[in-house]
Amino acid sequence: MDCREAQVQILAAQRGQLRPEQQGGLHAHLDTCALCSRVDAEEQVLTEILERRLPQYPASIALKRRLAARWPAALPPRRSWRRHWGPFLVPVFVAAAVLLVALPVYVERTNLAGTDETASMVSEAVNDYLRLVSSQHPLEIASGGLHQVKPWFAGRLDFAPVVSFEGDQEFPLRGGSVGYFLDRKAAVFVYGRRLHTVALFVFRADGLSWPTRDLGAMGSARASANVNRGFNVLLWRVGELGYALVSDLDVRELRELGARLASGT
Amino acid sequence: MGKGGGTEAGDRLGREALAYIDALHNLARYLTGSLPDAEDLVQETYTRALQAAEQFTPGTNLKAWLFRILRNTFVDQYRRHRNDPTVGGLDTVDPVAQGAAHEVWLRGDIDIDRLRNVVAEDIDKALMRLSEEARTVILLDLEGQTETEVAEILGCAVGTVKSRLARARAVLRHRLQDYAR
Repeated sequence: MDCREAQVQILAAQRGQLRPEQQGGLHAHLDTCALCSRVDAEEQVLTEILERRLPQYPASIALKRRLAARWPAALPPRRSWRRHWGPFLVPVFVAAAVLLVALPVYVERTNLAGTDETASMVSEAVNDYLRLVSSQHPLEIASGGLHQVKPWFAGRLDFAPVVSFEGDQEFPLRGGSVGYFLDRKAAVFVYGRRLHTVALFVFRADGLSWPTRDLGAMGSARASANVNRGFNVLLWRVGELGYALVSDLDVRELRELGARLASGT
Repeated sequence: MGKGGGTEAGDRLGREALAYIDALHNLARYLTGSLPDAEDLVQETYTRALQAAEQFTPGTNLKAWLFRILRNTFVDQYRRHRNDPTVGGLDTVDPVAQGAAHEVWLRGDIDIDRLRNVVAEDIDKALMRLSEEARTVILLDLEGQTETEVAEILGCAVGTVKSRLARARAVLRHRLQDYAR
């Protein structure tokens, strides 16, 4: 198998669509070809960002109504009230009974869906944190104090990050950079705690599914505490801005910093 | 005869087809690059689907059938606007893309960390810079259409779809790297 053949098959392989012998041939090639193995990794990342961030353009309600009006459901002839509703009374009672049973299940599922979306935000926060700490240049502006870091964001973001904690002896502010959180830009403030790095991501909160359950008081805000791959993540929202505080610190210490940050937001 | 002027089969099909309106509109937006044009294209697609309802075989893939009508409608309109169907053709929507496909093919030199950093608007822009053909194959694939279905929609061989998709995604990866900060 040459590289061209291999690269045509990579996407199908990632989706498990190749026959076993094709899969074997491709893996044998990837094991020995650094270039194709790199393309394999690039394809995975491309799939991930397309599935998660590609803007979707659903049809407007007006268009849906216009088209639906062209194909109306067949209307039954007019009948008296009793004749009209009589046949439906039993099904309506049955439906009401089913609803009584199904509603709690639906509510539970809705909550689970919300939990999934929160998990996605938490996972994104940890990924962003890992990218930051593994970067060779994690800080675009080294700190000479918050008064130096905050103005640096002007012109680089389409919002003003509201953060007033300047850092202290326990949690010194190391600097900042512009990063990304899901599909939007984020202001990244980096604090230290002994040898640990703590990252605060501040971003526009709109359009995200924020956790509403199990929120704990933290300064003047109410935050959701989460653990992902051993990292602690605190999520909270104040007005139009969202905050994600991430670190490998234990959650108690992270909450201490969170409280200092939240009291000024 | 339904209100839409079609037959009973047309009306039934139309109602079923409405379930796919969001997917069709999404593809139409990426084909035309504008929301008003996308609306017009979707309306025209449904009109043509209604007229051709008798040709649809119940039990076959309605979504793929609608995608094919939408794409053919777009091609017809595009050619009408171009006035001269023999010049260029659709692949020249972005002439650079075709050349770029050959350049990026087999390179594998993307900075993956940068690629991860692209945001939604960058993906939109990068996709719109691809040729119509490349955009279509990527979007149909994302919509979950199989290679066989994409081949039917585009009117080409399955093998062609495989190589077009791989090339289109290679060009997109490179385009996205231009946007990543």
